[in-house]
Amino acid sequence: MTTAIEKRRSPWAWLRVDAEAPAWASAASWLLVLAAASLFFAATFFRLRYHWNWEAVWAYRAKFVIGWLTTVALSCAALILSGLIGAATALARRSPWRPLRQAAFLYVEAIRSTPLLVQILILFYIVGSALGIEDRYVAGVLILSLFGGAYIGEIVRAGIEGVGHSQLESARAIGLTPAQTYRHVIFPQALRQILPPLAGQFISLIKDSSLLSVIAVNELTQNAREVNAFTYSTLEAYLPLAAGYLLLTLPLSWISRRLERRYRYET
Amino acid sequence: MCGGRSGGQNRAIASLLRLLLSTVLVVALAACHRPAGPRPLVVGMELAYPPFEMTDAQGQPAGVSVDLARALGVALGRPVEIRNIAFDGLIPSLQAGKIDCILSSMTVTPERARAVAFSEPYLHTGLALLVAKDSPIASVADLDQAGRRVAVKNGTTGQLYARDHLTHAQILVFDSEAAAVLEVAQGKADAFAYDQMSVFKQAQRHAETTRALLQPFQQEAWAIALRQDDGALREQVNAFLRDYRAHGGFDALGERYLPEQKAAFAKRGIPFVF
Repeated sequence: MTTAIEKRRSPWAWLRVDAEAPAWASAASWLLVLAAASLFFAATFFRLRYHWNWEAVWAYRAKFVIGWLTTVALSCAALILSGLIGAATALARRSPWRPLRQAAFLYVEAIRSTPLLVQILILFYIVGSALGIEDRYVAGVLILSLFGGAYIGEIVRAGIEGVGHSQLESARAIGLTPAQTYRHVIFPQALRQILPPLAGQFISLIKDSSLLSVIAVNELTQNAREVNAFTYSTLEAYLPLAAGYLLLTLPLSWISRRLERRYRYET
Repeated sequence: MCGGRSGGQNRAIASLLRLLLSTVLVVALAACHRPAGPRPLVVGMELAYPPFEMTDAQGQPAGVSVDLARALGVALGRPVEIRNIAFDGLIPSLQAGKIDCILSSMTVTPERARAVAFSEPYLHTGLALLVAKDSPIASVADLDQAGRRVAVKNGTTGQLYARDHLTHAQILVFDSEAAAVLEVAQGKADAFAYDQMSVFKQAQRHAETTRALLQPFQQEAWAIALRQDDGALREQVNAFLRDYRAHGGFDALGERYLPEQKAAFAKRGIPFVF
């Protein structure tokens, strides 16, 4: 059987992920995939018979820059804060204190089971007003961080609980304190496990910041919508919008892959 | 490598390709298919602007513009199909040929006139302000100051006015009328710039927290928007509008949908919209 296959080896064999694949296989395959994707989109755009009007959108380029910078600032603040909230939530859910566990459980379930749009409206117009948080940017970062924190808390908890129980017992046996156990045993292993879902969650958070436009936060999506309203150039306004988010999310994916490789080791 | 599995894979790929090809064919055929009879008149509107464009309790389109669209359909002898599209997506939809006309309380502006062709106006109104009940603001001139926050709805003439004339104030852009009203009611925004009739209606609904400054600071006219190369339909629409007005159609719409506004405008000495 094997020899028969070897004799009439398909001309497409290089497309298979294979140890014997030639050096150029990966690059050529990428080219093929990208060409197919471009062809598909070129065909759909051609069918649209769209009259491009980039000049009108170019006149509003300053709005895209302001919006992008606002999105970067919002996302950075929310990324850091949601990471902290997530870590605290994960620890609270493993706390020996019952009320702490239950509060963390309630928080995670309430956030995960309701749409972000509803949370933004309730937290800004009802809770925020009652607490005197009038600044919509501060409120926006807080809401986004609370939203992301619930998901990150679960990711971190899964990472911590993925570390085998026998390891914790071994750590205790060699006399490590709980803090030392977290520092030297749990954390390095959990980090490796949670990096891929964490990167995905951070990328979602950046994209979810677009929903803050409902409370008139002047971020990237809001600006693209305004430019669309001024110029009626939907595609010309939304294509730079997509590019603006890619510019933020692609580096994050790249950093996450780098970190994954660094923390990868033989077990 | 095992030959048997490889053969199975080839078969799987072949059947996948067949499936893909047949899907493409079905989609292409469906796109070519045209039903018999007169072509429906596809009217685009955002069903979020009562009583002009809204949905009734059964979820069906209703309101002044819906009645007007149906009357237009009867006059043209074509069935009417109403598409619910967000306001800022209406003109792109018209340009892309997804709809035949826009009947969505759309104000005629020079910017829009570059993108679409307008019929003769069928309604005249103006921009007004919704302000907080205890607000010191007396006119639109009071808003053009640093520290003032003006709420507008995205894609409306209120937004264009604020962009061009209220350059010192902070402009808050919302996707929905309800959010902009809430901002004023909570004191997060100083004013909401919107059309007279909506401002009147919202001030009535939120009487404890807001009041209306109805004297219009910019006159506006609403018209039906059509594609610029669709001159034939534009002629038909204009003829219909003249005929509809002559036969009292607009007066009847005002009586049916806006009796309170009509009375309130008469009391304040502001001319009614139709």
